[in-house]
Amino acid sequence: MFKNNLKIAWRNLLKNKSLFIMNTLGLGLGIASCLIIMLFVIDELSYDRYNEKADEIVNVVFRAKINGEEIKEGAVMAPVGKTLTQEFPEVLDATRIRQIGTPKITIDNQSYREDRFAFVDANFFNVFTLPIIEGNPKNPLQEPNTVVISRATAEKFFGASDAIGQLFHLDGEERPYRVTGVIEEVPQNSHFHFDIFASIEGLDEAKSDSWFGGDFFTYLLLKKGSDYKNLETKLPYILEKYMGSGMQEQMGVPYEEFTKENQLGFRIFPLTDIHLYSDNSAYSQLEQGGDIKYVYIFSAIALFMLLIACINFMNLATATAAKRAKEVGIRKVLGSNKNQLVSQFLSESFIATLCAMALATILVFVSLPFYNELSGKELQLDFLLQPVVLLSLLVLTFLISILAGGYPAFFLSSFKPIAALKNKFLGGNNNKGIRSGLVVFQFVISAGLILATLVVNQQMNYIQNKDIGYDRDQLLVLREAYLLGDDRDAFKNELLKNPKVASITNSASIPAGSTDNYMSQVYINGEFSRRMPVFNIDENYIATMGMELVAGRNFSTEFGTDSTNVIINQTAANVLGFGADALGKIVTDGGGDHTVIGVIKDFHFKSLHQKIDPLFLFYRPFGGLIVKAKSSDMSSLIADTNTLWNDFNTGETFGYTVLDESFRQTYVTEQKMGSLLNIFALLTIFVACLGLFGLMTFTAEQRFKEIGIRKVLGSSVSEIVTMLSKDFLKLVFLSFFIAFPMGYYLMNRWLEGFAYRIEIDWTVMAMAALITLIIAFVTVGWKSFNAATMNPITALKDE
Amino acid sequence: MIQIQNLKKSFRTEEVETLALNNVNFSVEEGEFAAIMGPSGCGKSTLLNIIGMLDNPTEGSYKFAGHEVGGLKERQRTELRKGNLGFVFQSFNLIDELTVFENVELPLIYLKMGKSERREKVMKVLERMKIAHREKHFPHQLSGGQQQRVAIARAVVTNPKLILADEPTGNLDSKNGIEVMNLLTELNQEGTTIVMVTHSDRDSHYAHRVINLFDGQVVTESQNRAMGAMI
Repeated sequence: MFKNNLKIAWRNLLKNKSLFIMNTLGLGLGIASCLIIMLFVIDELSYDRYNEKADEIVNVVFRAKINGEEIKEGAVMAPVGKTLTQEFPEVLDATRIRQIGTPKITIDNQSYREDRFAFVDANFFNVFTLPIIEGNPKNPLQEPNTVVISRATAEKFFGASDAIGQLFHLDGEERPYRVTGVIEEVPQNSHFHFDIFASIEGLDEAKSDSWFGGDFFTYLLLKKGSDYKNLETKLPYILEKYMGSGMQEQMGVPYEEFTKENQLGFRIFPLTDIHLYSDNSAYSQLEQGGDIKYVYIFSAIALFMLLIACINFMNLATATAAKRAKEVGIRKVLGSNKNQLVSQFLSESFIATLCAMALATILVFVSLPFYNELSGKELQLDFLLQPVVLLSLLVLTFLISILAGGYPAFFLSSFKPIAALKNKFLGGNNNKGIRSGLVVFQFVISAGLILATLVVNQQMNYIQNKDIGYDRDQLLVLREAYLLGDDRDAFKNELLKNPKVASITNSASIPAGSTDNYMSQVYINGEFSRRMPVFNIDENYIATMGMELVAGRNFSTEFGTDSTNVIINQTAANVLGFGADALGKIVTDGGGDHTVIGVIKDFHFKSLHQKIDPLFLFYRPFGGLIVKAKSSDMSSLIADTNTLWNDFNTGETFGYTVLDESFRQTYVTEQKMGSLLNIFALLTIFVACLGLFGLMTFTAEQRFKEIGIRKVLGSSVSEIVTMLSKDFLKLVFLSFFIAFPMGYYLMNRWLEGFAYRIEIDWTVMAMAALITLIIAFVTVGWKSFNAATMNPITALKDE
Repeated sequence: MIQIQNLKKSFRTEEVETLALNNVNFSVEEGEFAAIMGPSGCGKSTLLNIIGMLDNPTEGSYKFAGHEVGGLKERQRTELRKGNLGFVFQSFNLIDELTVFENVELPLIYLKMGKSERREKVMKVLERMKIAHREKHFPHQLSGGQQQRVAIARAVVTNPKLILADEPTGNLDSKNGIEVMNLLTELNQEGTTIVMVTHSDRDSHYAHRVINLFDGQVVTESQNRAMGAMI
């Protein structure tokens, strides 16, 4: 029976080739999108799961609100891990990561800059599952100045020779580091990616017992089955116990008083939540993570794509039911019961789904490299070949068959045999209401996605074009110019002679990308006010960056005292209560008293997700160089600068960034998600239109004779096109009333993540409506036009 | 085999109720060949549908082989139809997507018969209908007469007790029509009961008895003097 069903199903599908192609294509695109999104979602959810103890490892982070400043830091003070292990029996172990930027490593006169370098505790490899493949597998980092490196780094540093026991020097340290272990690369789905793990034993600050300041990403290994939330509730006690005594000294007030007006606390993130749930601000995590929001958004898109494709299948199958009525009648007369018919129609949807699944797999194979490029992921195709995935695909095929074919199967098999044999049932008009409802649903999703795409694109456009308070174009950043040492000024002067250079400033305080900005604790009249970011600049900074002073003066070499003066931004003037009267005011930080000599117009030095913070700019001309080019031809300036760098024979590698590029990188997640949204929105509306096209084809066939008669009686082509299209366009129009309020609400939620954002007004919705209507009209209009321009004789001869 | 008493069938639309059959009484004995005749709209096909258990009467009794079947549910009617009844239609009603062999095989599949037994039975009946050489053809590749022979093959492949023929020669030329009627007569002579609806006087002469319907009522019943008088 099953074989027979499949055979008939196959012949039926072949007989209605155009319907079959439309169904397979729609379902195939739906499934392919769904699979790609599934790969994305599975990858996002798999972060840090490679650790055998993933469920027992948690990350302690610091959260505070001090004098109105919200502090979210992923790193905590040095003694936190050790203390929690001692205080709570459920904490079995603690391990830390300390980053030190991009140290210089020297091996036999060859030097390397390694940004994937971290100091870690000796027990690090007992907590995280990164097996030692060569060297000491138990305690490779027990001693100071020992390192574990990745296989690729071992090959880079030491070539074919055995890395174990080899030495390298870290800039500024006399004692060499010895390789005691080699690991494979840290998996892609990890929240950190270091190539060199050095023993923290030699790091003095790691031994500090200060509860004020510290920069250690701290992980706890909990007892199996213990509840991290329960542990979290006990942490305020720890803060009070260990911070309390030092508070008076550090902040000038007792702990109780300080915490009355301010909030201090630790929070705990399960290891497997770090990637998706961490705060994405600058100091919150080791690497820019993902966002659970996007996991939800794309999962919803995948589901909608699949539903839209299934709806096409349902609508086309029920609309063309008349064609199958006779067959249903005969089978019933010959003794088929309803279940047998249902199973036969389900076989058809199974075959169509199987074909669609094959098409989808091919599409995934072809598109995955492009998708990876677009999304920045490294999704692998071999993932699809795992038995569990293959089994899931088969189950998915069954589920989609039932979802898409279930309703038509029950609908078709419920025909009364006599009526079916005589074609006396209402045919295509049957269940028109349900069909219309499903079309509305499809266009609610399509119009909603178009609205979402427009809003995302507008917001991205807004970010790109917003006045950010400085001119980010044509700026070449040499953040590591300090490596030139005493030659830096000579290098700068030489570079200034290049006619392509407009100006140069001596600073590594960069408003976008990697920067040397730091936080300073600020006091006013001896009382702690808040922490503030600090920029170290020279007298050329403001002009080179295209910033604007709104009051006072710039730093100048003519004033010998400028090293103790400060320029503040407008927000700082407001936050510190100076208002328009900031000039001459005294502020104090760890470096002593500073007089405010200028107020700079607010500029964005963090992402537009965050409001502009108060900022201090000190006259400290050291660090890197920022070069303003005269023209937009940056590549030739970069080449010249590289040549000049090499001429100075420092042995250091030339490194640079282009500020505009760094700025763009800040929004790379949104850009990538925006691009993906564009593509999936297009695919969704394409699949929805495929369904509309199918229904239109059917309607044109059904009204073939009517069109002929109308034409004979004098109807024009446009009248017929209008007659055929208007029913569908009404449905599309109706969908806007659901799509836009929903879209408005959801996109506003997304925009809330930006401190600086666009407002969704009626023009965006009008645009989305227009685009949807045009696409839908082209779809139905094309088919209607074909029907309207046929020779009426053909239709009437059919009789 | 068939006993019909006070049978009524009405169709109700939103505005009007139409009485298609009104107090119909007759019976058909096992082995009989009965023809139902009457003008268009007199209720012939409605009666045949009820006899064929494709529909239920509104009122009255219909006994098939001694069992009341007038009030059965669709599922029960389906079960009873399988193997007991064979249908031959004016428009053949073959499934276009199935070959000759597969069309004839279909009722046996629904009877859950094994594959080899099915093959044997189908080939036997196709040979008998002289259409075995076309077993792999699809309906649209056959002439009308050939299609009707396939339809008859399909109707008899399960050895039904009763064959119901609804204008079996209506779409055929006279030569093919005679051929079909001869086949039905042959089947009847072998013991199969046949009830046939027809407009054709000639075809009605093949039957033992002619039941005339008019406005949903049996108006006359007449016995044919000689079976197969026109042969």
